[in-house]
Amino acid sequence: MQVRRPATALGIRRRKDSAARSFFYFLAALPPILATAMLLALLYRSWPILESKPLWKLLADKIWLPNQGEFGFYPFIAGTLWVTVVAMILAVPPCLLTAIYLVEYASSRLRAFMKPLLDLLAAIPSVVYGVWGMLTIVPMVQAIGPKMGKLLGFIPLFSSKNPTGFSILAGSIVLAVMVAPFIIAVSYEVLHTVPSGYREASLAVGATKWQTVKYAVLPKTMTGIVAGVVLGASRALGETMAVLMVVGNVPKVPASIFDPAYPLPALIANNYGEMLSIPLYDAALMSAALILLVIVLVFNILSTLMLRRIARRAKE
Amino acid sequence: MNKLFRSTFVLFVVFVLAFPFSACSQKPSAQPTDQLEGTITISGAFALYPMMQRWAEEFQKNNPNVEFDISAGGAGKGMADAIAGAVDIGMVSRDVSAEEEAQGAYWVAVTKDAVFPTVNAQNPVLQELLAGGVKKDVFIGIYITGEITTWGQVVGKPEITDEIHVYTRSDSCGAADVWAKYLGNKKQENLLGIGVSGDPGLLDAVVKDPLGIGYNNLNYAFDTTTGKAVAGTAVIPLDKNENGQADPDEVIDSKAVAVEAVANGIYPSPPARLLNLVTKGKPSGLTQAFIQWILTDGQQYCTEAGYVALTQEQQEASLQKIR
Repeated sequence: MQVRRPATALGIRRRKDSAARSFFYFLAALPPILATAMLLALLYRSWPILESKPLWKLLADKIWLPNQGEFGFYPFIAGTLWVTVVAMILAVPPCLLTAIYLVEYASSRLRAFMKPLLDLLAAIPSVVYGVWGMLTIVPMVQAIGPKMGKLLGFIPLFSSKNPTGFSILAGSIVLAVMVAPFIIAVSYEVLHTVPSGYREASLAVGATKWQTVKYAVLPKTMTGIVAGVVLGASRALGETMAVLMVVGNVPKVPASIFDPAYPLPALIANNYGEMLSIPLYDAALMSAALILLVIVLVFNILSTLMLRRIARRAKE
Repeated sequence: MNKLFRSTFVLFVVFVLAFPFSACSQKPSAQPTDQLEGTITISGAFALYPMMQRWAEEFQKNNPNVEFDISAGGAGKGMADAIAGAVDIGMVSRDVSAEEEAQGAYWVAVTKDAVFPTVNAQNPVLQELLAGGVKKDVFIGIYITGEITTWGQVVGKPEITDEIHVYTRSDSCGAADVWAKYLGNKKQENLLGIGVSGDPGLLDAVVKDPLGIGYNNLNYAFDTTTGKAVAGTAVIPLDKNENGQADPDEVIDSKAVAVEAVANGIYPSPPARLLNLVTKGKPSGLTQAFIQWILTDGQQYCTEAGYVALTQEQQEASLQKIR
């Protein structure tokens, strides 16, 4: 008896362990299952329109008039990409420099003060960013738009035909501020993981602090930083409310950062109430969601592949 | 970062858990006593939102055990929420389509209001606009065809080349629907202009832009306290008889005048229109009692709140539908 007891206790422990293991397995399996289920559900709901019109026509058509049966998604896809790309161009460099400053240069007191502040920024509801955008960013863009247009108007990207401030630039500025805490937080954590030996070695051979960052710290952390940027971009792709409030919502293909745009999430949010009143509208909005999901998926897969390549190269 | 993820995750779980409860927390039991109890959830048209708040307030005075949960988000949201069963009543400031009825939307007209074109008070041709009114064709040129692009063209002074900054609603809504209907039986998707979300948002865009033009529901175009057009904006008269002048009955310079003009039919319809409440199927229990109250005792608060009470006939028709 006395011999067996520890064995039973061990049995129970083993069983507990395996129960926990299968429970965790289930939890870990949930996200891919959910994503697949969502993809299938969206595909199912958007089938009526995919069936009635060729896919390339839906994706390439520029006219959106649901009442007349015209469902062209191209302006919305273009709007989504424009807003996201401009936002990332605005966000990444300052975010990266902020993270470098906080990790490499700032005093620990400043760091202790800034970190919670950045987390707080991430927690602000997007509608608050939207209101802020409408009150301050839109008038600002309206003021600088014509001036920039005069100065750089020969470059199509900066020509300003939209006299209001509701534009890609306004949406991108709001988005850039919104994704900044994410990019900074990830880069910060990643930079922190670099062992101080690296820095000391670099400093010991006479490198300046900036040279240390540039040649010792950054190459070591490139993958992590790219991952942070990807996280920020994924969030930017799907951000709805804040962008919707300042971007102008005109279903035309934009040609300049001062043009209004109509990103996919805004299309869905603005119109989901109408989807029952017009034939195929329902399916059209569902395929808009599907397209958005596919864009995010493709983007994430591509960046994962890229990350792997970078990681491999770093090892060599 | 871990903390960030963790708190996001916790929030997510809370929302996921809370959602089913919030969606079906309601279900009022039909009390045998005449003391009504329960919560009525309402969402939808900005046009009806202030009126609904007033009605809820008055209704609560006699029925202190009834709670209200009212939110504004455009007629489209009201319709979608009502059909999905997410709310008890959807506020819809446009006609209900046959497709929506087929999905179970049951509607009754409860009051009337109108949409008014608004411009910034610093508009370069404000005096001409107010004195001459604007013809329907000109609005069509601005909002539908895009042929009219300067304020000079609007008032027939080509030397004025200030561009018109056209604003419209981005969220699907009754105001845009009825405004488009006025402009040659069009739809919201045909309206040109920068899309701004929500009635207050559109008004705000016009307030901020001296060359802006927009359109607003009666209770957003006029200030509740002063009764005049909201500070920084002006309501432009519709030149109904096309004589190039804003005749006395075409000038809408205060909320009281606006309500009067809609009530006696001087203001054209569209852009005046009936406002509807939509339920999923014929309403019953508490929801029915509330709508019935709106159609009877509730009508007396319309004028005060800046709406037009239903005519005897309309009231009868609506009551018939609800009983």
